[in-house]
Amino acid sequence: MDGIHDLGGMHGFGPIPIKQGEYVFKADWERRSFALAQALAGPTPFVADQHRQEIERLDAIDYLSMDYFEKWAVATGELLKQAGLVSQEELDTGEKKFDIDGAAHPPTSSAALVGGMKQGAQLAHPAGTEGVRFAPGQPVRVLSNCPTGHTRAPRYVRSRVGSVALVRGVFQFADAVAAGRGPAPEPCYTVAFAARALWGKDAESDDVIYCDLWESYLEPA
Amino acid sequence: MTEQGHDHRDADGHAGHSHDPLEMGAALRVRALEELMIAKGLVDPEALDSVVEYYEREVGPRNGAAVVARAWTDPAFKVWLLEDGTEAIHSMGFTGYQGEHMHVVENTDLVHNVIVCTLCSCYPWPVLGLPPAWYKSAAYRSRVVREPRAVLAEFGLEIPVSTEVRVWDSTAEIRYMVLPQRPAGTENMSSRELADLVTRNGMIGTARV
Repeated sequence: MDGIHDLGGMHGFGPIPIKQGEYVFKADWERRSFALAQALAGPTPFVADQHRQEIERLDAIDYLSMDYFEKWAVATGELLKQAGLVSQEELDTGEKKFDIDGAAHPPTSSAALVGGMKQGAQLAHPAGTEGVRFAPGQPVRVLSNCPTGHTRAPRYVRSRVGSVALVRGVFQFADAVAAGRGPAPEPCYTVAFAARALWGKDAESDDVIYCDLWESYLEPA
Repeated sequence: MTEQGHDHRDADGHAGHSHDPLEMGAALRVRALEELMIAKGLVDPEALDSVVEYYEREVGPRNGAAVVARAWTDPAFKVWLLEDGTEAIHSMGFTGYQGEHMHVVENTDLVHNVIVCTLCSCYPWPVLGLPPAWYKSAAYRSRVVREPRAVLAEFGLEIPVSTEVRVWDSTAEIRYMVLPQRPAGTENMSSRELADLVTRNGMIGTARV
């Protein structure tokens, strides 16, 4: 979606908050929000692309003003609501109004949760018979359209021409995963964009910006 | 886990007791969510502690620093790391969520690399831990793809015109880490001593080592 989260290239955000920003968690509730998102991914269930999509769906003013881990908590709550596990009233008050089928949504144990974090997710897939459409060095253009749901082609490269730097293999497709149609695997490429192709005469120098883009986002240029 | 980790929860985890009136907004929202989830049996409170402890104690930039120090002292490992970052890093035991597919980019006199996620906050957790607040800020995410040299200057890093800046925007499943240049005068240092020199920002690309 063409949302406020798609920040690349925007003006107006001022200096980097370096001094205030070396911490990872500044309060214990941030730790709890992070841990809740990890622990609820199993029993709800949801995956990272769905959680990112819920953060992107926040009102723009909330996206920019809420603490990072407050956004995580809102997104987790939205996914719980969609799964029918909580109501908005419950989220607002913290008080349980109805029970759920515990057998269908068992909590993840410490060992399983940390074990899963150490193991990682299955994101790549064997290359299919459809093959890979683009080759290293080939010029490609990022399509100009933007779906209304989660997508991973940033606004600042849409309609722009870059060249394929690396063919990455076949991965689950974030747009499809977030929409519940996943994994719909397809090839993914690292595409190099000349800074001058993106920013014109405003580019600082002959620098290069690399983005990882799924095949659906690209056309031959 | 910090000491104040559990002081807000009843012994049996039930919700509904009064809240500290000074704790507002976000903190209340998260507390409500946690109490509700425990009351519904959807989370194991110990598992919440475990996942925080894992990321605060076991996973962090020391992992990445060990990778860098080994690359600086073991030429064959460096070749492997740059050709197949995933396998080389996984061989050191640094596996897991947000590090399934790794690409390590090398800084040289001619190239300076820096990593970002403009769309959210993707970051290589197994080697660098969780990202610092500035990495997630709107300012860093919006600006580093458009004016990387100005952003790096704010970190105190002046990049010569003769050096190409490469910005890696983590827009899919690959996560990036920068292999910084080994500082001069460190020829006699051990891997452990070298690892102590390596900073988180050095592996993001917003600092030299």
